[in-house]
Amino acid sequence: MRLAFATLAVAMALAAPAGAEQTVGAQAGNFRLTDMNGRNVELSQFRGKTVVLEWNNPGCPFVQKHYNSGNMQKTQAAARAEGAVWLTINSGAPGKQGYMTGTEAQSFVKKTKATPTDYLLDPKGVVGKGYGAKTTPHIYIIDGSGKLVYQGGIDDKPTADTADIAGARNHVLAALGELKAGKPVSVAETRPYGCSVKYAD
Amino acid sequence: MLMRLVSFVLMTLAAWLAIPAAAQVPGQRHIAIDLVAETDRPAAGGEVTLAFVSRPEAGWHGYWKNPGDAGVETEAHWTLPAGATAGPIQYPVPHRLLIAGLMNYVYEGPFTQFVTLKLPAGLAAGTRLPIGVKLDYLVCTEEICVPESATLATTLTVGDGALMPERRAEFDRWRRALPKPLGSPASFAIDGGTFRLGVPFPAAAAAKDVYFFPVTDGAIDYAAPQTVSREGDLLVVETKAKAGKPAAVEGVLATGDGRGFAIQATPGTVAAPAKAMAWGAALAAFAGAVLGGLILNVMPCVFPILSLKALSLARSGGEGARGEALAYTAGVVLVCVALGAILLALRAGGATVGWAFQLQDPRVILVLLLLVTAIAFNLAGLFELSAPGAANRLAASGKGGAFATGALAAFVATPCTGPFMGAALGAALVLPWWGALAVFAGLGLGLALPFLAIGFIPGLRRRLPKPGAWMETLRRILSVPMFLTALALAWVLGQEAGVNGMTIGIAAAALLAAGLWWTGLRQARGRALAWLPGAAAAVVALASVAVITHAPAQATATVAGAEPFSETRLAQLQAEGRPVFAYFTADWCLTCKVNEKAVIETAAVRDALAKGKVAVLVGDWTDGDPALGRFIEAHNRAGVPLYLWYGRGGSQPEVLPQVLTQAMLIERAGG
Repeated sequence: MRLAFATLAVAMALAAPAGAEQTVGAQAGNFRLTDMNGRNVELSQFRGKTVVLEWNNPGCPFVQKHYNSGNMQKTQAAARAEGAVWLTINSGAPGKQGYMTGTEAQSFVKKTKATPTDYLLDPKGVVGKGYGAKTTPHIYIIDGSGKLVYQGGIDDKPTADTADIAGARNHVLAALGELKAGKPVSVAETRPYGCSVKYAD
Repeated sequence: MLMRLVSFVLMTLAAWLAIPAAAQVPGQRHIAIDLVAETDRPAAGGEVTLAFVSRPEAGWHGYWKNPGDAGVETEAHWTLPAGATAGPIQYPVPHRLLIAGLMNYVYEGPFTQFVTLKLPAGLAAGTRLPIGVKLDYLVCTEEICVPESATLATTLTVGDGALMPERRAEFDRWRRALPKPLGSPASFAIDGGTFRLGVPFPAAAAAKDVYFFPVTDGAIDYAAPQTVSREGDLLVVETKAKAGKPAAVEGVLATGDGRGFAIQATPGTVAAPAKAMAWGAALAAFAGAVLGGLILNVMPCVFPILSLKALSLARSGGEGARGEALAYTAGVVLVCVALGAILLALRAGGATVGWAFQLQDPRVILVLLLLVTAIAFNLAGLFELSAPGAANRLAASGKGGAFATGALAAFVATPCTGPFMGAALGAALVLPWWGALAVFAGLGLGLALPFLAIGFIPGLRRRLPKPGAWMETLRRILSVPMFLTALALAWVLGQEAGVNGMTIGIAAAALLAAGLWWTGLRQARGRALAWLPGAAAAVVALASVAVITHAPAQATATVAGAEPFSETRLAQLQAEGRPVFAYFTADWCLTCKVNEKAVIETAAVRDALAKGKVAVLVGDWTDGDPALGRFIEAHNRAGVPLYLWYGRGGSQPEVLPQVLTQAMLIERAGG
């Protein structure tokens, strides 16, 4: 299992060199990561469903803004209710802020009453760098055909103030709504905001 | 654990020391911020500059307007008296901080942001103006980020707007860190994933550790390395493009030592730096140089020496001719390359010199004058150069002689290179150094080409006329262009060193001539040591080099009588009732330099200004002097160039367009 992960990680690294980014409208790069329960999860197994990727670092005040206010949990629940898959990914390296083991991730999900489909661990930052994830939070939406349809911030108020959530445009809910209505995503790329992803040096 | 305790104590201590007693929020902030107004008594209807004086804790950094890959922009929420408005936050030039492959544009040390506050008109003096602001900003270490809020307040009182000198000096010190607006528009091109920014930046202006900080998001990959190249007056920054197709790119070009320029770039063509291009350009310049060198052979300063040498070469046999031709070529090429190398070294050292730079020194001209005079008298038959041991074995045969002739020809030829070689040599200066040296070598090769032909093609040698008595006559005739060259050099000397310098030069030449004449007489009588008088005269004549200097009028400003700008001097001149032309320039401003070369420093404009008794004041903003900056701003310009014309008796200047014409100035000077 470990070997398979390593092989895939290498393949991923080759297919999408470090720092490479995904392009909206193009096929999103496939990946396989270990989840908080020690199981392997591959992106391609969700083909046919809309997938939301959320980069997470529980120590980051911008992430806390959306978890402490319940905004992230609400967005997750709404996405899941529409049949979308929600994968929370942690690319923090061991020793850095926000790094978690599988058990720690389980208790984080439980404590925050979050409802992602799964919480994936990317301590080597291979998937994070392959997707060009720069901040926490940083959101990606992949449609049923495996095409990237959105990347950027969770909303349009780049602050750490929970009071700003009420008046903000939630890009994720807006994009999911448009996808469901069969319309193209009107805001397909925004500037993400937050802490930098705490990759390994 | 111990480390954490120590760092906690240190941090607390630092925070405690950094926060002044009167600060509102002592809290746990990692950046200590003071709100300071440039004046506490601003005038109604006027403006006052507010500063956020920020000091991050050690190990923490604040963010620039564009934070980079992560982070957020600082936001200010103002509470202002009715009618007052606050402008956007102005940021000083940031630093780069690359953490685990993500780029951050930050301030790791103390920094000061500015905001311009506009006050409504009609406020009574003495009215209290409470100013409040809540700053939301992000502060991070390499490990963690903390969004912070600072609530700052100050109270201003409506007054006369006068500034306290110490406060102003402090603000000016902070202002120096702000990017200055670059006078010329930049352009950018996105080409197959490469973003290329072309910034007009004079070749002579210094820049190091150049980096482009984009304000516009989505144009470039922040973490990708940037390569910088300078080609003449264009600075090109190349880096990885992002997917975005921006209509315009805004940013700050940092040029080292905390300096920077605010840049607006529009889409355009930006040529790739001379990497692949260099070969083609170098080859073209090389061909041009060879051709130019060939033409040089018929120049009055070179032809006489060469034709005689060519004839002497014709006399020698095949083996000897080939050797001499090669030695001559070596002499020519070596001197050309040496001159070129000195030129490149001087330019690299920051001096603004062009080809034939050595002719800008009157001492070099004097030496050339003496040399050419001696050659002319030699050709005229005044004396012979058969004396053994003489350094200048002009007519002597043998490889050593040929080499010396070549070196001499190349050196003497330089005054004639200018008009013919301008284009090729101009191209040489923007090539990489090896390309430039190749062009200089090409010039030498062209100059030596006829000799090589004569040396290596026996048929050509046979076609040359048979040596005979007629050669003596030809030699006498060829002294005429040599004398003309001497005359031309005397004129150049007069231009550079004034009448006195020219007189010294001619006296030295006459002394040398007399000495050589004496030598000639002794030679005719077959005396031993016949060269003594000539050599003595040469030494004395050369000694005059020591007393020759640049004429003072030539050494000062390029526009006769131009003075450094100051507002006091301007007021003085206006009080005298003189019209004043004030221009503001900087070494890094290309538009300024073009205007100066093409308009202000031309003879026509100079004469017109002198005739109209127009005083010329020059404000040099190269170092970004804030006092000058304020004066420029007062005329609704963000930076240089700025051209102001104060008519006779008029107190308000006319602001001339940024692209000047000679007619504009001549017309006003005459009026």
